Amino acid sequence: MLESLQYIFAPQIINGLSIGVAVILMALGLTIIFGLLDVINMSHGEFYAAGAFLSVSLMSIGISFWWTLILVPVLLIPFGILMQELLIKKVFHHKDRHILTLLLTFGVATILEDLYKIIWGANTAKPATPITGASEVLGVMFPNYRLFLMVFGAALIFAVWLLIYKTAIGSIVRAATLDRDMSASLGIPVNKVYALTFAFGVALAALSGVLLAPIYSVFPTMGKDFILMAFAVVIVGGLGSIKGAVIAGILLTQLQSLSSLYISPVWSDPIVFAVMVLVLMFKPSGLYAGMKNG
Amino acid sequence: MDKYQQKAIRMMEWLMLIAAILLVIIGKLTGDTFFLRLATEALIFGGLALSVDLLLGIVGLLSLGQALYFGFGAYLSAVILRDWIPSFWVCILTVTFASALLGWITSYIALRSKGVYFALISFGLAQVFAKSIYNTRSLGASDGMVGVPIIQIPLPFVTLNLGDAVTFFVITFIFMGSIYFALKYFLYTPLGRIWAGVRSNESRLPYLGYNTAAPKRIAFILAAMVAGVSGALYPMLRGFVSPELMYFSVSGNAVITVVLGGVGTLIGPLFGSSLLMILKSVIGTLTLHHHIVIGLIFVVLVIFAPKGIVGMLSTKLKNRGVR
Repeated sequence: MLESLQYIFAPQIINGLSIGVAVILMALGLTIIFGLLDVINMSHGEFYAAGAFLSVSLMSIGISFWWTLILVPVLLIPFGILMQELLIKKVFHHKDRHILTLLLTFGVATILEDLYKIIWGANTAKPATPITGASEVLGVMFPNYRLFLMVFGAALIFAVWLLIYKTAIGSIVRAATLDRDMSASLGIPVNKVYALTFAFGVALAALSGVLLAPIYSVFPTMGKDFILMAFAVVIVGGLGSIKGAVIAGILLTQLQSLSSLYISPVWSDPIVFAVMVLVLMFKPSGLYAGMKNG
Repeated sequence: MDKYQQKAIRMMEWLMLIAAILLVIIGKLTGDTFFLRLATEALIFGGLALSVDLLLGIVGLLSLGQALYFGFGAYLSAVILRDWIPSFWVCILTVTFASALLGWITSYIALRSKGVYFALISFGLAQVFAKSIYNTRSLGASDGMVGVPIIQIPLPFVTLNLGDAVTFFVITFIFMGSIYFALKYFLYTPLGRIWAGVRSNESRLPYLGYNTAAPKRIAFILAAMVAGVSGALYPMLRGFVSPELMYFSVSGNAVITVVLGGVGTLIGPLFGSSLLMILKSVIGTLTLHHHIVIGLIFVVLVIFAPKGIVGMLSTKLKNRGVR
């Protein structure tokens, strides 16, 4: 009993956690963009891919992985600002905003995916793991990079939460979410807040791309496979909620990795989406909807 | 719907008919069937777009998973034709009833939510189905099913051979035309008026004494049937089905088609689907990366002409003052 716990369950749980942290990072960007702007960003997966690709390119010209961790998100911030200012703002005041922004970002995703094929080719790249070796946790060996990913990711998620709920910047963002007109009349530059928040979400997606590139492979449609999971996490957690994203992210990835002990792992995707549909049926706005709930 | 839009819609109906007749004549004369088969495929995906428009443009529900019913129809049709009985009518009737049943069952899941959440739940449902089909070996798993036979349609006086591209095109055209006019008829019934009410202000209708749940469910089931039947034609044309038919790209493409043609116009989706097919094949011959061009056109459309081709045409008519 204890042995099966140590050698069968513990590795699955820890593997699940390392994927979970990555998914939560993706989901954070999505949920923040939705919470503030009411925009479902269908191109989020493509920004994640952009992060991975840029990181690979920068490393190929001799920049170390650790620098790309900072450089790539910073490089993508202007892109996020431009997208908000040039595209999303145009349809922002339309009464079908949800639908139009969803379509708009879907169009952007189509363009970006093809663009990556032109720039980087359709082949799969795999960067070298920046931290090699493995360590023993609970008597089982784990690659060091995965352990780093878990600790770093968890710290990052906590930092984002602190930024939004415990700082002045965060309260400005939350105020703009809650009541746009009131915040504007109190002197908050609402448009700037929107653009920067969108860019922040994009930067988070790119950062998860950089972090995950050494584990998964880098290819033009990599965003598609991963974004579905992130969407499921955001939906189950409740659109706009950070706490929800964290809880749902852990729950769903654990479900995925533990269920693969009993049934073929090819069924883990249908299971995750079935859970998502079930949650939506009984709690249509997810576990914790909205930004005010933390 | 003002008179200019009605005028624009009527113009496009004639345009579609003329284009179809021209295609048939050219096909008969030259014997070149490539464009006819392309046009048939455009109409089939037009049927899927029509079902998306019924939900989005008429009732106001954005479905991001309509490919679920399309793929379901296609798979069922392939199984019936290949493994059971190669009969057109048995296949179409079974698929119609089965899609209605599937629509009825899934409506209890999807219609619990509205707005963005409806979009997401429909997306999730399609995802569960697509991945399950992908994993089911008896349905061909990731390879799909090949070897769907070419079928004959026995009518009282003649027997139509669907292997002939002209015949298949004409059948599909009549099929989609009938669905189009049937749906258009629905818009002018009391049910259709309630749909319009649901779209513009759903929470108000109950105060006026109308039940909104049943009309929404009927629209959802109808949309499932239209998508299912359109899907049923797909394996007859292509001879195979694959799980990609249920993927998000198919659902997403259908939404693009609807926006391109004109949301809520019903003719828009059919027209948009043909136009998109032409665009794809023309741009496809020029560059390998036609997605960029399609994506750009789409982004520009959403920003500058969210009402699509029908919208542009009716504004033009309005400016000219056509009566």
